[in-house]
Amino acid sequence: MFQADPQLSRVPGRRQPKPELDLKTASKQDHLRMVIVMDHQSPGKLDMQFPDIWLRDNCRCGECFLPQTMSRLPQLWNNLDTSVRVQQHSVDLDQEILYITWSDGHASQYPLAWLRVRDFSLANRTRYLSDFYRPEPRHWSGTDFEHIRREFQYRDLLASDEALLEWLDHLAVYGVALIKQAPLEFDVLRRLCNRVGFMRRTTYGDEFSVRAQPGASNYAYLAAPLPLHTDMPYFEYKPGVTLLHTLEQSDSPGGVNLLTDAYHVADLMRERYPEQFRVLCQTSVDWADIGHDGELEFHNIWRAPVINLDAEGRYVRINHSIPQRDSHFTVPLEQVRPWYEAMALFVRLAHEEACSFKTTPGDVLTFNNLRLVHGRTGYDDTDRNVRHIVGAFIDWDIVYSRLRVLRNAKSIS
Amino acid sequence: MWIQRLGRALGQGRRHLHAKIVKGTSIEVQPEPESGASSMTFPGVWLRDNCRCSECFHGTSQSRRLDWDTFDTAVRPLSIRSDKAAGEVHVSWSDAHESSYTLDWLRQRSFDADRQRAYLEDFYRPATRHWAGAEFQQVAQHFDYEEVMAKDAALQQWLQALAVYGVALLRGAPLDEGVVRRLAERVGFIRRTTYGEEFVVQAKPGAQNFAYLSLPLPLHTDLPYYEYKPSVNILHCVVQTESQGGSNLLVDAFHIADRLRSDHPEDFERLCRIPVDWNDIGSEDGREFHNIWRAPVICLDSEGKYTRINHSVPQRDSHFSVPLAEVEPWYESYSRFVRLARDDAHAFKTRPGDVLTFNNIRLLHGRTGYDDTEQNSRYIVGAYLDWDIIYSRLRVLKKRPAIQ
Repeated sequence: MFQADPQLSRVPGRRQPKPELDLKTASKQDHLRMVIVMDHQSPGKLDMQFPDIWLRDNCRCGECFLPQTMSRLPQLWNNLDTSVRVQQHSVDLDQEILYITWSDGHASQYPLAWLRVRDFSLANRTRYLSDFYRPEPRHWSGTDFEHIRREFQYRDLLASDEALLEWLDHLAVYGVALIKQAPLEFDVLRRLCNRVGFMRRTTYGDEFSVRAQPGASNYAYLAAPLPLHTDMPYFEYKPGVTLLHTLEQSDSPGGVNLLTDAYHVADLMRERYPEQFRVLCQTSVDWADIGHDGELEFHNIWRAPVINLDAEGRYVRINHSIPQRDSHFTVPLEQVRPWYEAMALFVRLAHEEACSFKTTPGDVLTFNNLRLVHGRTGYDDTDRNVRHIVGAFIDWDIVYSRLRVLRNAKSIS
Repeated sequence: MWIQRLGRALGQGRRHLHAKIVKGTSIEVQPEPESGASSMTFPGVWLRDNCRCSECFHGTSQSRRLDWDTFDTAVRPLSIRSDKAAGEVHVSWSDAHESSYTLDWLRQRSFDADRQRAYLEDFYRPATRHWAGAEFQQVAQHFDYEEVMAKDAALQQWLQALAVYGVALLRGAPLDEGVVRRLAERVGFIRRTTYGEEFVVQAKPGAQNFAYLSLPLPLHTDLPYYEYKPSVNILHCVVQTESQGGSNLLVDAFHIADRLRSDHPEDFERLCRIPVDWNDIGSEDGREFHNIWRAPVICLDSEGKYTRINHSVPQRDSHFSVPLAEVEPWYESYSRFVRLARDDAHAFKTRPGDVLTFNNIRLLHGRTGYDDTEQNSRYIVGAYLDWDIIYSRLRVLKKRPAIQ
């Protein structure tokens, strides 16, 4: 839509010098001040367009940008003049640099390669967001599980950046990945987390042990069946990824892991039961955990719907836990029954879409705790066989950061 | 306080109690029939879901254990009996289960809108009060560090002030580097970030982070490039600069958002809607990071309440992943936000032994430039705490008088 406008400044991709911009005409339309760069290297040879204020804001010179911190120097913003405009501009095709002189007397240079990855075209933005920012998730049904399930070797993850990248990418896209052949040592999760970044601490500490404890202060620390749930829905900052390391598995028929992609359940509801879907997206639920771990007494509460959407309607988080749902339910009376009906449907569908498998000692099950619901069947310990799982969390901020660093390193090498 | 008020109300209501089934599925409880006090209605399905018996509720973990795989939402009460002496309501259900609820327990969970609001604002998360820069002296409360460490009442007052106003100053802390950790552990535990647990802010030539330079540090929030942004900033002043600069600047960005909402609704709308790429690229202790989070400057919840402010000139990415047509208008709106914030900033200079604490989700902070000398180099130790942990502590403190 902007390309047809004759009042835009246009930088053809030929050798300098370039004709000066017609300032009189450009100033007539303040809201359409673009710099267009014809780029023969871009796919389809489309012009790249950049708003002048954005270019001025992102000047790469030593006065405006500090390379050692990779960040913008803020002085310009003490009195930002949004009416700043291009006075002169040219492209050096050999050096692949765009030169601009500004109405505030400043001069800037932009490498075309730098501009290309920041192009405002929809195609480039989409590519950047789904390839680099956060990989696009792919949702799966219970019957798809065997196709999307993937195993990684513990030793490879510690030794190879390539393997680490594949694990984290799979975890980001499918929300679940199984690590095999880890030693039966207590520090396995710490070593894995340190390989990514660092562990996320919660009110239950760093690592936690899941073992049957009569009189436990947390419901997961019982041998009873643990229905499908997400961990710690009672935190605004809910831990992003759960890691469960099997040290000892139960010899009894129980102790089987259950996993469901709750984004898939939400997809099903959105499609088949739109009213119940709406109710689960809009009704705030009180999630709570009251108790203590060691010396730390806590009373955690977070109010949020079961299905949480962002402004564009994409899933950002699922909350579900029967034990950690508060008896306080701070919604208007008339919302209570519809919520229960919608929730019962969600629970039924999650159950139907669950896959099940039993980890063996040395396995580390890793899954997205914002997205998947997990559970386990009940089991019986004996004197000689006590099921023992060690757990830990890591946050998505840290996982995605590592993934980007690994991708950058890979694209450079 | 909510719990205490409730405690008084409960003591009075015990003797009279009347309960009945209404509309076939709900239960109406009338605590003081002769006083004309309003009755409380509870949906049957909710009551059944929250049965307190040991089959349905696990006491030590304070958790529901009801089996939802077989839970029938069509369950309804068949009969009801109130025990006035015990202050309890007994219900027989269509699924052959029997439940008992105390009046105390029911009143705390009343669906009455006023009671729910009181619960949310007094107990869940205190309601915030926004302030202009000129009001800073009235809203910024001072607390004695040693008292906060020793007395639960002082701890509670500090955390409450921090929750309501977003800023509070502790005075009289020792000058050792362990202060921020001891303070954080008095509340819960430190929130770790890419930069570790405690961090030191001092001028470091060639620093990897912009804050570690002696240049003026314009108003910003810390770590906007995290989805899970650290909530509360704890800055312990160990050595303050004797030069002119080094002053702290603080602004309540919720107040700036209030002003935009009322005076410049178009700017407000853009800053709430257009996502910005916040980033931090670098390394700390040999560990490389590339943090990015996309979110607007002003983040709202579904009810239009502020949940978070993002602002940092250095940590705003040159990638701006929005349609071209949004760019120029966004710059106009953002520059207005920055101007309003700058003009509203309150400046003050902490002294050695001061611990400045503020809500990093809500306030913008900055500092003026300064000059270190060999004898005098500014030295601040910082750490973060998360609101999840602070609110939990505040609730535990608020419950105590009622339990004792």
